[in-house]
Amino acid sequence: MENCGDNNPMPDAAAFRRPPELVMRLARMGSFHQTRLSFMRVLLRRLERENWKFKRNLWAIDAQGFGRAVYTVYGPERAYSLVAFSHDLPDHMRSDRVIATAWDATFALYDGVPDEADLDRLEQNVPKQEAGRISDSELSLSRANRSVRLWQHVVDSLAAGRQPEREQLEAVGYLVRTTAVYGSGKFGAADRLTIAGRAELSGPFQAEMLSVWLTRAFSVDLVEHVAAARGGERAVVIEPELRRRIGVGNSTGLGMAPFLVNHPALLNNWMMAREEALARVRSLPTAEPRAIAEFRDHFEKARYNLSQWHSEHPVQIEKLKALGADLERMAEYIEQQSLADDHPWDRFYRWSEEHLSLEGQEQLVSLLLEPYGELVDELAQCMDADEHKSFFIDGAMPLARLRDIIESRCRWALEVDYDEPDNRARFWYTSAEKLEPRVGERFEEPGAEYELPLAVGLDIKRLHTALADSAPESSTAEFLLAHPEHRHTVRRVQNLASHPYAEIQDNLIAADMLPIDILRCKLSFFGATRFDPRSDRWVRICMYQDAPYPHELLAPPESGEAAVAV
Amino acid sequence: MSYRLTLAEIESYLRKAARASGLDWGIAEEAGKAARWLAAFSLPGPELLLEHLQNLADKDYRQFVPDCSLDPWQAPGGLLCPVITGAALADRSAQMLDGHAFRLGNTAYPLLLAATLGQAARYHQTAFVTCWAGVRLNCFGHGIQILGRREDLTLAEAEHVCCCRDDSAEVEIEASTLAYEIDEDVFKRIDALAFQTYAPATAASRAGAGAGLTDND
Repeated sequence: MENCGDNNPMPDAAAFRRPPELVMRLARMGSFHQTRLSFMRVLLRRLERENWKFKRNLWAIDAQGFGRAVYTVYGPERAYSLVAFSHDLPDHMRSDRVIATAWDATFALYDGVPDEADLDRLEQNVPKQEAGRISDSELSLSRANRSVRLWQHVVDSLAAGRQPEREQLEAVGYLVRTTAVYGSGKFGAADRLTIAGRAELSGPFQAEMLSVWLTRAFSVDLVEHVAAARGGERAVVIEPELRRRIGVGNSTGLGMAPFLVNHPALLNNWMMAREEALARVRSLPTAEPRAIAEFRDHFEKARYNLSQWHSEHPVQIEKLKALGADLERMAEYIEQQSLADDHPWDRFYRWSEEHLSLEGQEQLVSLLLEPYGELVDELAQCMDADEHKSFFIDGAMPLARLRDIIESRCRWALEVDYDEPDNRARFWYTSAEKLEPRVGERFEEPGAEYELPLAVGLDIKRLHTALADSAPESSTAEFLLAHPEHRHTVRRVQNLASHPYAEIQDNLIAADMLPIDILRCKLSFFGATRFDPRSDRWVRICMYQDAPYPHELLAPPESGEAAVAV
Repeated sequence: MSYRLTLAEIESYLRKAARASGLDWGIAEEAGKAARWLAAFSLPGPELLLEHLQNLADKDYRQFVPDCSLDPWQAPGGLLCPVITGAALADRSAQMLDGHAFRLGNTAYPLLLAATLGQAARYHQTAFVTCWAGVRLNCFGHGIQILGRREDLTLAEAEHVCCCRDDSAEVEIEASTLAYEIDEDVFKRIDALAFQTYAPATAASRAGAGAGLTDND
């Protein structure tokens, strides 16, 4: 792979790679499912492989469930701690909107093991979230609210000595729901470069994924603690198998959407890794019985997952219906066709393009990777990006070459008639009130003069038009001196020459653009499941459902091994 | 009173402040990077950029753009913008790799120019040196070297500036990733400028991000 060294063990797989013009469409990206390369799975594989240790270093929570706690994981070189604060939140203040100002619980991921002074400092700031400040010692800042539906049921059941109802537990899927998880220099947190050189955190969103994994453990400990305080000796803990069914919820809105547009090199590398993984599996001439058995096993899990996946949103209801039909067709295919010979996975994939909806096709992509960890897991190392490199503009590039890149890689941008009002009906902006990205209606709302440079297709077309009036042999440097308004677009276009999957190949300001498609793509890379859009620009998901807990995956540190500071 | 800003925040705030001051997004991106890069060496990039942006306000961008056909480069208005000119130099950095030296006439805040060009040094993995008044600043990808009179680093104007490649330079200060201390009043002014890029809320925007369904279950 071009972004990941020259030692590709399967160079022939490139012939099976899906082209960007097929993959980088919103409708398809909005149908992605989690894969082996999803960031939370990458994290857990590393913790297990490297024998990380785990210890709950502090539990100072009262009978009502309020107080603070510290969860630490110890790696070969460094330790990281989730610092959790649990609060008494009046019901009328509970909101999942990113604009809320109070939460049931707030968290920071501390770089190391915090001492008492650190905890006191954090307690002054973390509960305030955006209104507080954290420091170079913290890697993320986040918050969560309880699921009112499930929390009470679980506390009541456990306190009375009963297990919670499986059906009720699975219907929600989590005890707490996070909203924003901020990292990378936000609100005072350590800069991304601080951790970029650490193998365990250099991959995308590893600190954030660690924080959410430990948050899940905290949520279950907390519900059991409250139930025990209430029920006394009668109280029980959740059975391990049922416990696994509890994930962490997340509620995500527009704020996350521009990220993929603002980080084209990163988006390319995520997509490229995923596409290369699929290509490697498709390129296999035969499949071993072991791989076929694993595939079938994961196929059944996907069917079960679908039975647990509910949404009230009309778009998603239709997609789930289609996915259900797709899975039945796949089941028939699996029964009738050989999965062993004659490039079985490539045949299966090509069949899916003919017979399944995008939901089903992308579900199959995820399933095909499952049996082949030894072929695809290493690609996780290729998913970060040197964004500085792609910031540089090659001023010596002749304009003819620039135009050539646009004409060969950006047909999707040139084909749109932006004079058509529906094709520029929206604009992206930052809200002064909430300091969050939003989408406005250009012809109905004021504020288009505040438009963010996210109308990528329109900008590319404008650049292409401007290039037509310039001498093809003149340089990009000369052009940009006269046309600084195209500078940000030239950066993108030049980047496309070496990063073919860097751009979403759809009109991000069209009337029918669905922001949830962008959200789903990003969240699938995190490893989210059970996408449940609550509108066209806001989605709920579940993370870490069925994953092991820290105390299950990791041994406790041996005495003396852990620096226990609290 | 001082305030600690992370490097990511510096880049984000200054990019928006530059945009609010009338620079195009692509140039504003360069401004944000330059401010961040200087702050990583505890140099007052954010402060100088704020001063420069305030000087730019309400003036015609064309007045500050270099005429690169002249030697030294000159601005029609008599004073070169360090970000626009630094970007133009970065765009021509391949010529500097080949040994070409660029001479510039009257330039505002040459430290900002050196930093904007410094981004290209990082890409080419070489050192680009910028000289003005009594100081010479060597910029590497992740480090700098300051030779001569340090007090000249923060000059608001320099009559002559020279930029070229220098292989003999050595890194003296490594880039830090820690937060940068900034005077609270200066930060407030940067924040106020950046804020001008945000759209005032409307009833539609308030409703738009959320859902029609309850979010409290």
